[in-house]
Amino acid sequence: MTLILSVFQAVLIAGFAPAVSWFIKKMKAVSQNRVGPRFFQVYFDLIKLFRKGMVISGTASWVFHAAPYVFFGGTIAAALMLPVIWKGALCGFMGDAILFVYLLALGRFFLVLAALDTGTAFGGMGSSREMFLSSLAEPALLLSFFSIGFHTKTLSLTGMMSVLAADSPHRVIFFVSLAFGAVLILAIAESGRIPVDNPATHLELTMVHEAMVLEYSGRYLALLEWGHQIKQLLFLTLLANLFFPWGIPDTFNAVPIVLSLLLYAGKIAVAAWVIGWIEIHFAKLRLFRVPDFLAVAFVLALLSFLGQLMVGRGA
Amino acid sequence: MKQVLDEVRGQLGGLIGKIWEEPGNRLCVLADKKSVVPVVRSLIEKLGMRFVFLFATDERKILGAFLIHYVFLRQAEGVFVTVKTEVRENDPVFPSVTPYVPQANWQEREIQDLFGLVAGGHPDPRRLVFHEDWPGSLHPLRKDFALPENLPRTGREYVFDRVEGDGVFEIPVGPVHAGIIEPGHFRFSSAGESILKLEIRHFYKHKGIEKLGEGKSPEDLILLAERVSGDNSLSHATACAQALESLSGLEIPPRARFIRVVLLELERLYNHVSDISGIALDVGFGFGAGQLTRIKEYLMRLNERVTGSRFLRSAVVPGGVRKDLSVSGKIFLADETKKIKKDFDEVIQIFWNVNSLVDRIRSTGVIKREVAEALAGVGPVARASGIDRDLRRDLSYAAYGNLLFMVPVFTEGDVESRMRVRIQEVHESFKLIHEALELMPEGAFRTDQKPLMPGRNALGCVESPRGECFHWIMTDGEGKITRWKIHSPSFVNWPLIEHAVLENIVPDFPLINKSMNLSYSGNDR
Repeated sequence: MTLILSVFQAVLIAGFAPAVSWFIKKMKAVSQNRVGPRFFQVYFDLIKLFRKGMVISGTASWVFHAAPYVFFGGTIAAALMLPVIWKGALCGFMGDAILFVYLLALGRFFLVLAALDTGTAFGGMGSSREMFLSSLAEPALLLSFFSIGFHTKTLSLTGMMSVLAADSPHRVIFFVSLAFGAVLILAIAESGRIPVDNPATHLELTMVHEAMVLEYSGRYLALLEWGHQIKQLLFLTLLANLFFPWGIPDTFNAVPIVLSLLLYAGKIAVAAWVIGWIEIHFAKLRLFRVPDFLAVAFVLALLSFLGQLMVGRGA
Repeated sequence: MKQVLDEVRGQLGGLIGKIWEEPGNRLCVLADKKSVVPVVRSLIEKLGMRFVFLFATDERKILGAFLIHYVFLRQAEGVFVTVKTEVRENDPVFPSVTPYVPQANWQEREIQDLFGLVAGGHPDPRRLVFHEDWPGSLHPLRKDFALPENLPRTGREYVFDRVEGDGVFEIPVGPVHAGIIEPGHFRFSSAGESILKLEIRHFYKHKGIEKLGEGKSPEDLILLAERVSGDNSLSHATACAQALESLSGLEIPPRARFIRVVLLELERLYNHVSDISGIALDVGFGFGAGQLTRIKEYLMRLNERVTGSRFLRSAVVPGGVRKDLSVSGKIFLADETKKIKKDFDEVIQIFWNVNSLVDRIRSTGVIKREVAEALAGVGPVARASGIDRDLRRDLSYAAYGNLLFMVPVFTEGDVESRMRVRIQEVHESFKLIHEALELMPEGAFRTDQKPLMPGRNALGCVESPRGECFHWIMTDGEGKITRWKIHSPSFVNWPLIEHAVLENIVPDFPLINKSMNLSYSGNDR
């Protein structure tokens, strides 16, 4: 039963991820007096890409071929650690929060190499920007986890959630709300959204994530796009389940699980709405202003940690 | 006119030959090849004239030589002074004025390519209009040019200026771009993200329009003029029509003048709204871009209702305009523009409340006044850098002399200034349309055409949404068009972008480019 539910959670994330992208797209479209895409369009787009042939540069090495699988696989593996609608995950163990961060980093590392691999002007530019930004985002994410882990006395994602769920809400707000701010900023940065990156732009020179995948087409591109959508949902799930962990069952009964599923969908919709709202109301930051933005995340995480050091973890 | 003539004669007496007047407030001066440089310099430095453009004509049949025309404008009196100099085929070198007048750079190189004359002493005599692959002996604007069956390819390549040093990279961009835009190549030399140098290589869309125009009828010529630059159709058509009218001695009826103002301002409106929308899109402010695109669509539908064409094509004919504005049409136009203005104001209000947008555009892509002046920038780009220059007011063609409007000038020279100039101009355009509709006299809206007079030349000028646009037309002994020179604003403004991007970072280039909104097609012709 544990196995079934855990696998179901990962499938749910993978299946649900394009819908989140659709939700944000639709929101933006409505703000611009446009109709926007149909719900199934995001899925059709992926299916279309999976069916299409690929054009691959003659100079591409094995890295270029491996990167989409590593990226997608790493993201799915990270998904297996996250409790979604049930207080458990397939690969949940002590310390998995660190593995979670570095599974995502592994995918990114390969993607950066692959973008350099074909030797195009834009790929290199995207790679250097991605590394520049992630060197700031990664410590902030780790520090956020440490801060929460300090409070919950565990570095396992499922463990953190269970401890927080058992805590009273005001204590959760008191101890981890700063970390919440940090993870929100990181969610925006990691999913390549405004104000950090513009997922809808056609301007090669301004791209970060998009510049790295410019050389990809067909099946590989589908894997990358899908993987990217999953990564985005992973961060939203972190926001939803780590900081609002109530109402997630740890039994195998059908009713609580279904209720939890609905609750999860609701929480993700709210989180996606926040991301969409920011995307509508802000312009993209100048590239050299992005570090300031990410620094805010780092400072929030640090404050959350230091605050607990000073006032105690509130056993 | 008389005063300018006296001044020119007094200042240049010994250097120049014949001096005569031509219709359309133009003064012509004949100068020897050797004295061209001092004449050009003293016109600019001593007589306060503004160098506008230069071009060549092949008059070997009549004069036995090529003529190079240097056109100057004395802004205060609205008088054009043209210096003409002969260049013989057996000695095709003409002195380059580029070292003294930097804006002549591209124009002289264009003459080199199209006429096979040589600009002696030009600091950068590389190819411009024709790429290196084009055979060096073919010069289409020579009268004896014949297009060979098979165009040989020479296989030579353009050599870009190199920046060398540790960590300096070259980024080639284009000519094929990701968006649906025109072709042009940009070569960045950058260290990290900051741009050390930008070199542009354009003219992928050279269509030989000037050559195509030779021998065409006035109606056909206007059709061609409308296709020089798609979104500035009407400006080019009007400039062309003005030249044609003065060639056939036509005086267009007052009503037509006012209708032309209305149409020209409609063109400015949709262009500027589209440009501001583009700026919003390039900084990732999708909401603003979406709303302004909607307003642009309203404006283009309005164009269609008024003229039958979204791009205002075929609205202007030599002798007036094609269609009259009915009473109900006037009321409709006034109501619609009022509504659209309100809509536009609301959206712009939101723009200034978005700090992240303002942060992106402020102090980005600064064009210093000195640079804009040296390269003779035109249009909103120049007006954003503190240069107060607008042909609508300075030469008051059509009915602009009867109307009251402001010419907004900003001094910062950054993307924000260029956007502010456009926003204010949109307001002025709405005002101008209402004024013109109100003051429009009754009467005919076009006069009958007359044949072009033989052996004449004429100049038409319009302040297009992008800036000054000139059409110069010459007829031969039978009254046929034998040379058509199009001077488009983009041709002047493109080199400015190489300066605007310095001290900026690579990801800000698209924004700077958009804020100048230059036409590839109008540049390449």
